[in-house]
Amino acid sequence: MHNFIAVVFDDTSKAYKGLHALWQLDASGDITVHGTAVVHRTEWGQYIVDTKETSPVLATAVGVGIGALLGALAGPAGAAIGAAKGAGIGAASGAALGGAADVARLGVREQAGLETARIVGPGKSAVIAEVSEEWTTPVDTRMRELGGTVYRRSRSGLRDDAWYEDYVTPNYLYPYEYVPPAYSGP
Amino acid sequence: MTQNQTKTQEALIQARAAAQELHGALSDAASSVRGAMSADLEAVQQKTRALMETLKSSASVQDEKARKHLKEALANLEAAQKHAMKGAKSVGQVLQDSVRKTLAEARISAQHISEALAEERSASAPKAKD
Repeated sequence: MHNFIAVVFDDTSKAYKGLHALWQLDASGDITVHGTAVVHRTEWGQYIVDTKETSPVLATAVGVGIGALLGALAGPAGAAIGAAKGAGIGAASGAALGGAADVARLGVREQAGLETARIVGPGKSAVIAEVSEEWTTPVDTRMRELGGTVYRRSRSGLRDDAWYEDYVTPNYLYPYEYVPPAYSGP
Repeated sequence: MTQNQTKTQEALIQARAAAQELHGALSDAASSVRGAMSADLEAVQQKTRALMETLKSSASVQDEKARKHLKEALANLEAAQKHAMKGAKSVGQVLQDSVRKTLAEARISAQHISEALAEERSASAPKAKD
């Protein structure tokens, strides 16, 4: 099964332990990880994606992809708002997904905002990943041990979402375990 | 898992590590304060060539889907090399555009190699347990 997953944790340090555990599962051959990223949601509801210091163009691409993916994991309506919010990025360090979403109608936006918020609540962090897994138990078990909650959708299921089809590309997830210096310890 | 399958997977893991290293080097260059330099792209060309040779010698890959992914990865690496070559002879915006295109091709090639590994692992795994 080729899946996209979001594993939600109470804080950032746990999210990075989750990220490390995912790549360990890859190293042991239990799953194959194709890409990962870590997202935080501030107390004020803004999403921040941990990226390398990079150009605004690349940061926007990351933000649009992650925004769409988070929204798609929340449900069909979420994909529209997620992509639109991702397009509102401007930060050079860390891609913020908190911009205005002019392309989405208000009703859809409110519904999608609520759905996305159910996955990553204020103050929480999530590991977003694209994985191939023969069965879901290794990820579910390990993430539960670390205090994470796993949300999962198949890649084929996401492709069926009209809003999401333009965003099922791998470019916005790191193909290796990327940990920003701020979290990589001494 | 047979000895052949183990060797094939080890080769794919090494190829994926090389693709990850290539992507890491490129994204570091793209994200550095000074911006990417021609020298960065010359180093990238060498890494790309080495990775392409590794992939071409992965003849032991039997799974049809995995072979298809490796073929795609090679095509992306060839495109990456062309962009890197153009960038190495350029400056300013043309150089930065080349870096961005090279990075995108390198990322997709890493994805294909990773998916080839997943296909090989799947082919040698016991049937699904859930």
